[in-house]
Amino acid sequence: MSKLDNVKIAALKNILKKNKLNGYIITDFNDLKYFLGSAVAMPGEAVILFHSKGLYMAVRSLYEASFREQFPEIKTEGCDADRAEQIIKQANRLGLKNVAFDSSKEIYAAGKIFAGAGFKEAPGLITALRVSKTEYELKNMRAAAKIAYAAFEHIRKRLKAGVTEMELCAELERFMKHKGASALSFQSIVAFGAGTGNPHYMPGNVKLKKNMPVMFDFGCIYNDYCSDITRTVWYGDKPAPEFKKILKIVREAHDMVAARAKYGMSGAEIDAIARGHIEAAGYGKYFTHRTGHGIGLEPHERGDISQLNKEKIGLNYCFSVEPGIYLLGKFGVRWEDCFYMTESGIKIIN
Amino acid sequence: MKSSDEKLRNFQKILKKQGIGAFAVMDIASVNYLADYKFMGQSDAFLLVTPSQAWCFTKELYAITLRRAAPFFKCVNSLNPADIAAKVKEFKIKSAAFDPGLIDYISGNMFKAAGFKELPGIVAAAREIKLPSEIAKIRKACRISAKAYEIFRRKLKTGLTETAAARMLEDIMYSLGATGLAFPTVMAFGPNGANPHHANGERKLKAEDAVLMDYGCTYQGYCSDITRSFWHGKKPAKEFTKIYDIVKAAHDEVIKKAKPGMSGEELDAVARNYMEKAGGFAKYFIHTTGHGLGIEIHEAPRVGMKSKQILKTGMVFTDEPGLYFEGKLGVRYENTVLLTKRGAKILTVGE
Repeated sequence: MSKLDNVKIAALKNILKKNKLNGYIITDFNDLKYFLGSAVAMPGEAVILFHSKGLYMAVRSLYEASFREQFPEIKTEGCDADRAEQIIKQANRLGLKNVAFDSSKEIYAAGKIFAGAGFKEAPGLITALRVSKTEYELKNMRAAAKIAYAAFEHIRKRLKAGVTEMELCAELERFMKHKGASALSFQSIVAFGAGTGNPHYMPGNVKLKKNMPVMFDFGCIYNDYCSDITRTVWYGDKPAPEFKKILKIVREAHDMVAARAKYGMSGAEIDAIARGHIEAAGYGKYFTHRTGHGIGLEPHERGDISQLNKEKIGLNYCFSVEPGIYLLGKFGVRWEDCFYMTESGIKIIN
Repeated sequence: MKSSDEKLRNFQKILKKQGIGAFAVMDIASVNYLADYKFMGQSDAFLLVTPSQAWCFTKELYAITLRRAAPFFKCVNSLNPADIAAKVKEFKIKSAAFDPGLIDYISGNMFKAAGFKELPGIVAAAREIKLPSEIAKIRKACRISAKAYEIFRRKLKTGLTETAAARMLEDIMYSLGATGLAFPTVMAFGPNGANPHHANGERKLKAEDAVLMDYGCTYQGYCSDITRSFWHGKKPAKEFTKIYDIVKAAHDEVIKKAKPGMSGEELDAVARNYMEKAGGFAKYFIHTTGHGLGIEIHEAPRVGMKSKQILKTGMVFTDEPGLYFEGKLGVRYENTVLLTKRGAKILTVGE
């Protein structure tokens, strides 16, 4: 059964019209996945020409038959080399006059051929569509989040002296895959002790000891959609007073964003909620990253919750909220959930 | 985890030999390979590498880690490709280059305007020859998966579903020290083996049944890939044994004939020709004989029809002939091998 979504097709048609285009070339693997509702071939092996009269695809011939069966409404041809030339030929056959390609994603070698054929540059048209998620996408993101939350409940029971960071990483992956995840959103972070003070720590063979902070930052992919959560806990019964203090500040910052982020705010305005609280508590300079990032088919997508993003966060935009405080060499705390924007504020994805 | 600069040094030697003043590394797979690091997103970091220096353009957030993990890079707090071109200008570097297949059009245009040359495939060429530290990790991943097969055979019971059997196999690999899976395990019972890309389901293992399992794990970022087909029970179907023997012999023939200097298609033909001679079976061998692997499960070289890539010492690839009879039976036999001066060495062996 075809997974082509008429809502997405109509939206792209609209954008083309606005840009006075009658054809657009889609090559990016994740853009294709978004558009077709499932992964096609391997990255770089398929190109779609979306035009005013329909869709055309040039795909590695290995996939041609199954693709035709899956998407009868797309005119598909097998093509094992020079897919850019094939697309140009088809555009000429269709008599398309205003065709554009995504110059922010198209590889240079192919872009040069398209530009040579008189195609225009129109960067990021699909990127802009992808920020606002459909119900189908939200459903899969919820499923991905549920697996990650269950994994946290599972893994926290496995904290015991002597276990290594890598062992817990492996257990997280095993658990999530057995719950239906197809892959990890990214390599999981499990950090013990001073490792938590580094926001991009790489797990290793560090062993857990009593009275150490532990940070988990991980997520999984379910039906192509990513989840991403972070939890920081203390292992042992004597948490360092400063750890307790910064954990409280970080969780408050996180909860304030959840309660106060409104429809109509920009990424920068939402970021300011968390940053303002952490600054007021005196830890501003230890919050060394953005409050959040867009998420969807990829773990990091457009729609940052950061000081630099002046764009409004629209309806059904999905993003992480993950304030943190890092005392380098000592320890750090981060707390993260993913949310989506509704008319009545942001809602957690779970 | 402290990174190693072995891969970077090796790449710098290649640049020097080819007279390239500087190379802009813009795709994250190449960045992660050369930096021996794991950046998450496509544009989390770029590199500029000269025969004697290396810069990493990234966010300050990553730089904090990188300065400790990979001290051989000078970190620049920027993700603007124009700053890479500016660095080349600042140091008056001649003959800078980029890969036109691994960069977006906008950035490529900017580099062209700054006088950079197009140079395709140079990182890929470095990546396909595995360095000793990489081989050690691949070997470990291979040992784990081969050992897992032995343990799995002793534990497999009639009545298990494909899904449950796959889970059992994966658990064994983790218990042997795997740090991840190389790809989703294929566990096919009975006629399901005839579909080379079978998705595991609830089909239960019968008392007398064919099993095909294609799986692999990762160890510290490096992959293994192995397939075993066997008969579960005491009375293997005649057809199964016959096909298995042909496939296994085709596999062995590839091991025997592989040597540096052959092309991918020449080695592929060894398996294909063997099957044809064994009774006109080549038409049931519907995929390539093998593929390279390393930090990704599919890398160069391709051991398949029309592959002109030359096989070289230090390459790691699979040898995986198979025969498929739709709706009836499928058999594939696969090992991960290392090509040495003396020929192919199987890495997927238990200790």
